[in-house]
Amino acid sequence: MRIFPALIVDALRTLLRSALRKPATEKYPEEKPKIPEGFRGRHMVELDKCVGCGLCARDCPAGAIKMVKVPGRKGLGVPVIDLGRCIFCFQCAESCPKGAIKPTNIYSMTAYDPGDLVLDFRPLLLPSAKKGQDELGGQ
Amino acid sequence: MSEASAPGLASELEKAKEILAEALGEELSSWSAAGARRAWADVATGAHVKAIRALKAEFSELRLSGLTGTDLGDELALYYHLRLGGFILTLRMPVPKSPDGPVVESITGLIPGADLHEREAFDMLGVIFKGHPDLRRLLLPDDAPEGFHPLRKEVEARTLRAEETTPILSPVVTEEKGPIVTLIIGPQHPALHEPERFVFKVDGEVVVGMDIRIGYAHRGIEEAAEHRTYIQDLYLCERVCGICNVAHSLCYCLTVEELLGLEVPKRAQFLRVVAAELNRLHSHMLLLGVAAEEMGFTTLFMYIWRDREVVMDLMEMLSGNRVISSFNRIGGVSRDVGPGLVEKMKARLLELRKRLEHYKEVFETDPTVLARTRKIGYLSRSDAIDLCAAGPTLRASGVDFDVRKDDPYAAYEEISSFRTAVRKECDNWGRYMARLEECLISVDMIEEALSELPGGPVKVKTSRRVKPGEAVCTVEAPRGELLYYIRSNGTDKPARVKIRTPTFTNLAPLRKMMEGVYVADIPVTLASIDPCFSCTDRALFVDVNTGEAWSCYIDEIGRRLRR
Repeated sequence: MRIFPALIVDALRTLLRSALRKPATEKYPEEKPKIPEGFRGRHMVELDKCVGCGLCARDCPAGAIKMVKVPGRKGLGVPVIDLGRCIFCFQCAESCPKGAIKPTNIYSMTAYDPGDLVLDFRPLLLPSAKKGQDELGGQ
Repeated sequence: MSEASAPGLASELEKAKEILAEALGEELSSWSAAGARRAWADVATGAHVKAIRALKAEFSELRLSGLTGTDLGDELALYYHLRLGGFILTLRMPVPKSPDGPVVESITGLIPGADLHEREAFDMLGVIFKGHPDLRRLLLPDDAPEGFHPLRKEVEARTLRAEETTPILSPVVTEEKGPIVTLIIGPQHPALHEPERFVFKVDGEVVVGMDIRIGYAHRGIEEAAEHRTYIQDLYLCERVCGICNVAHSLCYCLTVEELLGLEVPKRAQFLRVVAAELNRLHSHMLLLGVAAEEMGFTTLFMYIWRDREVVMDLMEMLSGNRVISSFNRIGGVSRDVGPGLVEKMKARLLELRKRLEHYKEVFETDPTVLARTRKIGYLSRSDAIDLCAAGPTLRASGVDFDVRKDDPYAAYEEISSFRTAVRKECDNWGRYMARLEECLISVDMIEEALSELPGGPVKVKTSRRVKPGEAVCTVEAPRGELLYYIRSNGTDKPARVKIRTPTFTNLAPLRKMMEGVYVADIPVTLASIDPCFSCTDRALFVDVNTGEAWSCYIDEIGRRLRR
């Protein structure tokens, strides 16, 4: 048998490195992962910007967006997003002429009931709702 | 498509035209060249054999890139996409719908690799290929009713019912004469990562023949694409294959952009190269890890997959997700990169290159790897061409062909660090080494593309409707040449989308490689073509539980699954 220095040197180096470093795996959920900037997570719809054109619903490849009429608002209403169908391509953000839909870095969207996965921002329109409550709807 | 042609391309195109005119005479009704690298020829029904024979005599490396069957309403049409070096010549041939079924002559005698292509056309459209050695169904159940060909316009979807078919498992005729034994692997088997069925004829420990049955992961993508808009189809095509999603979305975008006559900004083209090469790294490292595992070298598998995380992280930084990138858009890319990100990516690539160089050394010297891969699964150069191999499988048999070099797209023409990884070994080891070399070249190319990123916008506005026309584009996917053909009819939905994935065309060469290998080497040989069966199976839904085949809008899938 030949001796294969490449492997032996690597084995020793890897052993040393692994002894000094923390494991390659992540300790989720004890430690939350670092989400890079621009991650395509859960949507945020800024209803102030939305004009109700419905382009997001029309272009959505998964049929996840429905326009729901809201009294007192122009156009087709506001988008309601079913995260259970969403494929997170963010074509909606691309189609939106006003830039009202944006991805956030919220990655954990598990729910017991599929109905809880519907992202409905309409409560934000109520006068009593506080702005910036991005945990509303869905969670 | 690039207009700056390699020297001699125009004369090659002219030569092909002359050969066709001479061989066919009156039977060649029209010829048109679209750019320097695409040519379309209308030939009379039945003239394709003469045409291909004449072309093959002159162009020794002629391969069938794809065979598109399409239903035009009154008649069927077959499109033979022939790869002649730097350009694709498409022979358009009408096939009349006759009561006893449309019949054309098979070209398997000239190009043995056309075998599965013709079977797919038979299965989907009912075209009968006279002289085909084994014209059976390929994707639908073997006992699907006669005359049920789902891409025919007159066939109603959902007419195939549970009681009419059994789940796609045809009985195997075991003709065990003498020592030949039939060994069936799959569709469900611990050695397979995807559901496919292999029937091996084994003489003792040696494989003497192989039959493959695909279709277990069929999802109806080609049919579904006809019912959705161009924008929605982008995400559908991206999901043909999860691993090489950038190649699929890029090829789709290139084809639609060609139909639209759209010029993509320079910066977007460079970013497309970055995404496509990251995707290649991801796919190759995944395969090399799987190969190591198949060899019984689990440690190497763990190490390669650990280092693959670097690529996944880079993809996440670039596109916002680890696997499905959704980076390519019609008219450009979805987002720009900032200077900070470029530096971060370059730093991670340095670390990755060191690891890849090390793995190359391991694959070159390690006794386990060498013993399990060298001189196993031999595919000669002439067989690779005749059987229409693609990608690293072709290059490892000594053919210097790479779509990035011969038919450049995106910014590949401007990347100087690109070179093809051609190996002469023709065996499993050669195919793995070709991929390892490609990984290192990819790292160089990403670095160069990031350093020389031109300024400007990353996307241009496009229209939703596409004017009538047809286009064919190819991309060098990690597994080889990927072909998309799209015909538009002036609406916002395509009239036909044909996808020919590299694994599909690599199955015929695989059959050849398997001849003479030991049973224990089957998984390593199978892995050497980097098979991806989910992209090979498309076009129609087959519900294995009920045996019911159907095609529908994507919206309906969820509803059906919940039932």
